[in-house]
Amino acid sequence: MKRRSLLGGALAASALSGAKPGRNLLNDCGCALQVKTSTTKPPGGEAFKDTGSKLRITNMQVFGVTLDERIAQADRPYVFVKLETNQGIVGWGEATLEGKAAAAMACVMDLKDHIIGSDPMQVEHLYQLMYIGSFYRGGPVLGSAISGIDQALWDIRGKAMNMPVYEMLGGPVDPRGVRGYYHASAWNLAEARELRDQTKAAGVTALKFQLPDLLEWVETGAKLKRAVKHLEMLREGLGPDLDFACDFHARPSPTVAAIILREIEPLHLLFAEEICPPENLRAMARAVRYSATPIATGERLIASYGCAELIDMGIIDILQPDIAHVGGVTALWKISAAADAAGIRMAPHACEGPIGGIASLHVDAAGPNFLAQEICGFVDGGEKAKVWEDLMGFPAMRMVNGRYPLPTRPGLGVDISEAALKRYPFQGTRPFPTVFFEDGSVGSL
Amino acid sequence: MRRKLPDVGFAFAPPQSGDHPLAITALRAWRLKEPVSGRRYTVVKLQSQGGDTGFGEGGPASGLEIADARAAVVGRRATESEFIRARLNGSPAMEAAVTNAMLDCVSRAKKLPIYQYLGGPTRFKARVLAQLEGTDEASTAAPLARAMKLGFQAFTMPVLQRDAMIPLQEYVDRVRKRVVAFQAKGGPAAEWVLDGAGALTPGDAAMIATALEKNHLIWFDEPTSVHTTDALAKIVDESVMPIGIGRKITDIATFQNLLRFGSVNVLRPSLGLNSLTKIKRMAAIAETHYVAVAPYHSGGPIGTLGGIHLAAALPNSFIQEVPIPASDRDAAMRAELTSGNKEVADNGFAALLNRPGLGFDVNEKALDVYSEERI
Repeated sequence: MKRRSLLGGALAASALSGAKPGRNLLNDCGCALQVKTSTTKPPGGEAFKDTGSKLRITNMQVFGVTLDERIAQADRPYVFVKLETNQGIVGWGEATLEGKAAAAMACVMDLKDHIIGSDPMQVEHLYQLMYIGSFYRGGPVLGSAISGIDQALWDIRGKAMNMPVYEMLGGPVDPRGVRGYYHASAWNLAEARELRDQTKAAGVTALKFQLPDLLEWVETGAKLKRAVKHLEMLREGLGPDLDFACDFHARPSPTVAAIILREIEPLHLLFAEEICPPENLRAMARAVRYSATPIATGERLIASYGCAELIDMGIIDILQPDIAHVGGVTALWKISAAADAAGIRMAPHACEGPIGGIASLHVDAAGPNFLAQEICGFVDGGEKAKVWEDLMGFPAMRMVNGRYPLPTRPGLGVDISEAALKRYPFQGTRPFPTVFFEDGSVGSL
Repeated sequence: MRRKLPDVGFAFAPPQSGDHPLAITALRAWRLKEPVSGRRYTVVKLQSQGGDTGFGEGGPASGLEIADARAAVVGRRATESEFIRARLNGSPAMEAAVTNAMLDCVSRAKKLPIYQYLGGPTRFKARVLAQLEGTDEASTAAPLARAMKLGFQAFTMPVLQRDAMIPLQEYVDRVRKRVVAFQAKGGPAAEWVLDGAGALTPGDAAMIATALEKNHLIWFDEPTSVHTTDALAKIVDESVMPIGIGRKITDIATFQNLLRFGSVNVLRPSLGLNSLTKIKRMAAIAETHYVAVAPYHSGGPIGTLGGIHLAAALPNSFIQEVPIPASDRDAAMRAELTSGNKEVADNGFAALLNRPGLGFDVNEKALDVYSEERI
């Protein structure tokens, strides 16, 4: 960035002074800055000296955190971002990206020229700088890197103002907390009934399941029947007073999704998630029109721009951006605002580590259109709870009467022990699990 | 058989905050009227338990609305803007005044300018647009001179209303002539917005917009009051002139719909009818459509300066409108309210007030002097 700014300045100066005789006018690179009025205004520099704060980012670190495969999925070592300031305030954020940990870590550090020396109170300005200033906008690697840094900036803002982030966003809408749901599985009626009892005993009000098979773009009657029967069995076992959702995980085509959605409508699911792959919205719209079951999607979308068409087309009922990928607190809040105006509820995805999960709770708490928060990690006790406490210094979050209580400490309410991080050293990127159909062709997990 | 109604209000009725330094303990309101123009607005003062105060401005409001706003906000924390947005949804002027006063209060308590609280400065100065009082060249001459002296470089000009007896060709010629005359008067540094005041038919507006494309106005504001998608399509589909709309819109979803159909190029929510935090939500939607925000303002100076804070914090802000009075008495009143005239510019940009809250002292004595009624 600095190099390009200098180049821009030099070009501008040359242009303003008029072309020198003999200068080769054909040698400009089309990618270089060619505007005459470009000015260099580095973050934390002179331009904002009268309007910014005295806080400055002095250091940025990224930590890869690999947990034992027996307690965490191997494809998602946590990626934590730590920002330090000249006033001793430290901010933490999470940039975990499934199957791309090293890329996300490298991308965080690629952004350091925008961040080191900047004023962390300028969170929107820095968001724009990272997003627009990266030229290649969006994508999950850049989105996750921005997410980690943005969360850390909000953490610093909250700590500087001595307020939880959700208060800075206008919340809480409901001080009782944020409704959560757990993932679960049950493969027969007895298991489903046992799960119902365990769920109620834990004070949880909603669950999410997956379809029992991988699905191709047209399917056999046997597989379609199995999918529908599975969900019917779950409703019977769970009873009418527990909400449950089904994550199609983008496995079916719109053609197959439409058939399943049509038949499960009487089950009144909380929502059907990622009913088909996310790239082609018009294809998704075709499947949706056959069912009144609430449709949710959005975990793979980046930035508010990535959700705009989905919102405008009115395809879905529930949006599920992930605060560790979409662009942090800043982007998730903007999407929530746009969704609210369109009558779309929010159920953010969170299938990574603890910082992102907690950051999500803050945005949830300030959104009038919030529905439920997914939390994948640390939902059970034992080893996972020990790791949580080791990293965070307080017991793992638990729902009370179906809700996560709101954090009360300033910022995100998170401080990670660096001594604990050393106990879980980064052991490299592991790919997202792959699956194959019976004939060896690639399936979507 | 009578059915029991479900309890649907709970999510928006959290218990009151009780004992907290940011809990609001009192609301005072002044209904103000400028002596010559008759421009009206409402100013609210909130007192917090911790001793901080906050001022906010909204459009004209009735005594009943003010009383209802007091019931809504007393006992709430100054941070609970989402609750107030929902609770005062039916009273846009008070939603704006109360929420803006909450922002001032919490920012003062945290010793930060409002723009810092809203997400930090995205710019270090904010472009301003002088709204000139008057209906033609003659009546806008005095405010234009005042605005230029105050450092403004962008101005509104009123569109010529169409008399049904004037042939269309002649009407278009007259409008074009007027635009050229205003542009000449402002000089080469001046930029202009054509104010349609919602008075044209979509057909006439389309004709004017097309005819003026090469005059390079910044935008054609509120060309018509007919905001249906089809009516606006007549204008935006026939012309490349940017169209600004929204001075009377208070519903975020209405803006979203205009954006969805490409019916608007500049979002113009009124500062008198929408709080800064509500406009921030509108701006977030506009951002994904690559549409800039330029809040409309026809109220007082406290509202103007709140708008400057918002302009500083929004990534897609373009310009903030500032009413420029024709009368010296009105100008004096505005200056008194803010303890000296703060509605000034330097080469077309307003400086950001880098002090806690709004960044200046509201003159309560002046509020008393100029109020039609204190509530």
